[in-house]
Amino acid sequence: MPVEALFGISEPGESQVKQVCKGRAVGIDLGTTNSLVAVVQAGQPICLREGKSILLPSVVHYAADGSVVVGQGACELAARFPEDTIASVKRFMGRGPGDAEATRKLTPYRFAPGEAADPMVRFSVAGGARTVTPLEVSAEILRVLKARAEAELGGELDGVVITVPAYFDDGQRQATRDAGRLAGLEVMRLLNEPTAAALAYGLDKQAEGTFAVFDLGGGTFDISVLKLEGGVFEVKSTGGDSALGGDDFDRAIAGRFLQAMGLPGDAGGDPCVAQAVLDTARVAKEALTTASETAVSITLPAGQTWNGRLSRAELDGLVRPVLDRCGPAVRRALRDSGVAADQLSGVILVGGATRMPIVRRFVGELFGAEPLADIDPDEVVALGAAIQADLLASGGRGDVVLMDVVPLSLGLEMMGGVTEKLIHRNTTVPCGAVQTFTTYADNQTGFDLHVVQGERELVADCRSLARFKLGGIPPTTAGMARLKVTFTVDADGILSVAAREENTGQEASIRVKPSYGLTDDEVERMIRDSFDHADDDMGARLLTVERVEADRILGATRAALAGSADLLVEGEREAILAGMVELESAKAGSKHLAIRGAVQSLDEASKEFARRRMNAALDANVRGQALDSVERKVGKP
Amino acid sequence: MICWSCQKAAGDGALCAACGAVQPPDPKADYFRVLGLPRAFAFDAAGAEQSYKELTKVLHPDRYARADARGRRASLERSVQLNEAWQTLKDPVRRAEYLLSLDGIDVGEMSGVGRSGQYDDHVTLPVPQVLLMEVLELREALATAHSASDVHETEALVAKVRSRLVTVMDDVARGFLATPPELATIAARLVTVRYYRRFLDEARILWEEDTPALGGSGADAG
Repeated sequence: MPVEALFGISEPGESQVKQVCKGRAVGIDLGTTNSLVAVVQAGQPICLREGKSILLPSVVHYAADGSVVVGQGACELAARFPEDTIASVKRFMGRGPGDAEATRKLTPYRFAPGEAADPMVRFSVAGGARTVTPLEVSAEILRVLKARAEAELGGELDGVVITVPAYFDDGQRQATRDAGRLAGLEVMRLLNEPTAAALAYGLDKQAEGTFAVFDLGGGTFDISVLKLEGGVFEVKSTGGDSALGGDDFDRAIAGRFLQAMGLPGDAGGDPCVAQAVLDTARVAKEALTTASETAVSITLPAGQTWNGRLSRAELDGLVRPVLDRCGPAVRRALRDSGVAADQLSGVILVGGATRMPIVRRFVGELFGAEPLADIDPDEVVALGAAIQADLLASGGRGDVVLMDVVPLSLGLEMMGGVTEKLIHRNTTVPCGAVQTFTTYADNQTGFDLHVVQGERELVADCRSLARFKLGGIPPTTAGMARLKVTFTVDADGILSVAAREENTGQEASIRVKPSYGLTDDEVERMIRDSFDHADDDMGARLLTVERVEADRILGATRAALAGSADLLVEGEREAILAGMVELESAKAGSKHLAIRGAVQSLDEASKEFARRRMNAALDANVRGQALDSVERKVGKP
Repeated sequence: MICWSCQKAAGDGALCAACGAVQPPDPKADYFRVLGLPRAFAFDAAGAEQSYKELTKVLHPDRYARADARGRRASLERSVQLNEAWQTLKDPVRRAEYLLSLDGIDVGEMSGVGRSGQYDDHVTLPVPQVLLMEVLELREALATAHSASDVHETEALVAKVRSRLVTVMDDVARGFLATPPELATIAARLVTVRYYRRFLDEARILWEEDTPALGGSGADAG
């Protein structure tokens, strides 16, 4: 699929200016399972209620008559109309049809047929009469929260801060932002959920020190390490898995029930059975937070009833493998933060799934410390978002500042398909990087710049963000042009790239703004892969780099031998040719160190020859002749 | 400097002396000046961090969300420069490299090995054969330990290299204290540091593969 179709590339001057206003600015936690809205009143963040409830179930029902029901009402309709009632929509944000396949095994939804290249999944709802995107479903939830806040605050909202998992990639973030816009909200900022939680703890509980925030929600897992000190909230590192959460527990439990009932793992493709079993699994899971055993009863649509029991020990056995998937992300976040587990002041729990005893025990074991849960783990994110909304809308308080980081590395494609990272993940924003590149081939008159996001060493394994060209460079020898590339990431996490050829002053720049709904299980897969293949990757990268280098040196040496044969002394040609043969054979192998070694021997063999050529060239230059293109390349140390 | 906002003399600070508007950064200011620190290798980490955070509180773009375009831009550029300065100076190795670069000596990212496509107009420092041999041997030992899943051996290698790294960094610190500073010695030591650090990074990846639990700071590259 062409990258241009996926990404709108706008000019730097184009408006990204946000209207930020005083007054009614709220924070919204758009959760996988529940959503809620909070506001700062008289200096204190509070969650807004509707009737008695703070939590709005993130469930949307599309009735056949065209009406839309959101929240508790929709939950009640889920058992009867599983296909028309979308829950856990957050899992599908910024996802393509290909990605949904993975979670489709046990979801009751009907997916509208889509192209493999389609950037968004589409649900077929309202009895098949209507197709909606995850973005529209999310907008329905946001509309309800907007109305709740407006009723409470007595007027239109001026701006909102919506929280997202720290690990959401650009596509998922853009989808969230666009859902806000669709709901008629002015989105001032997307705030990472763990950061929001830390803000709430830091301001409310006056917490100081270095904390890990362990956020296990319905569908996402996030881990962040933050340092809270003197009103400065510094995110040290962040990581996670945007497709791991309490829903996975439900699915594991449901799988056990289906097995006990003698049904296949996909409930025989019957959405009502799937929904009934998933509902029962969730209820059983919640019951086992306090009880040690619970009775289970599932009545199938056909009328028969299955009765069973589930103990906490059995639950723990089902949940543990899912929980273990948190380990690598936690370790990576700690490593990136430079803080050891035993140096943490505490671990903050966020998300409904952290109520489960096994999750608390797991966190305790993982970090070697009792986790903190003083603030309701369901509310803490929304409270933090309200604080940030208030800070932004009031133009900041002199005593509080939030320093966030880039979640995924940003770089450029280099010769040979290798990624050159300009900005590494977990760099504090706003940030910038400048690097100078040169031409690879003689008479190259332009540069193709390919901006990528991800941790892997090879471009093919990273996510493409944008491509652009810088042309108009006069033909010259390889290595003579100087291309200065500047990356800038602003406080909103939006990347701008500018390129300038220093000799000619040719310039080009773009603002990288991904369009929503990108196909992306990529990020968590990329990250998991990068962890699994760090070794391979480094090897592959080094090998590619060394091969490119070897080709360059072989070409230059060949040209030098042909062009300056008169400068060779006796036996020198043979020695250089032997070196070239050795390098050719090393290049055919897969050991980068062997190639590097062969390059060094060839350099050694041709050093004197290169020196003589350099002198001859300098002499020639004095007489006003141009340097031959290979001169400066041969004999490079 | 004349303040862009009030047109009066702005002074040298980040904020205009007359009206308090944030001023665009001086691109020529060195990182020590950006953080208000003396230009020296010796470093009061706690004091520097304090200074960094105080400046961040004043300059962060979130504080200028309601400002006009020029104010927002100045705050963004100031913050980028401030973050860069802090990232560079807080790490002793990068601080040493930066100090050398202020004296026109560029240690280069991969000393001795030119990377294709990357423009490299600085003099790459020679890598002593002895160092290459040493690192090669360490790598082999590491590969052997890893293929045997011998975590203790990996940890022993890491400890060995870390202690060598400490010795080398002590040399660097001494070099900066001498009058005049022994720049050539420092540069040579920094080449060694690069190789040690890369070794530690690789060792950490392998160590993590071989270690199931979270662990403390065991194989931290320091």
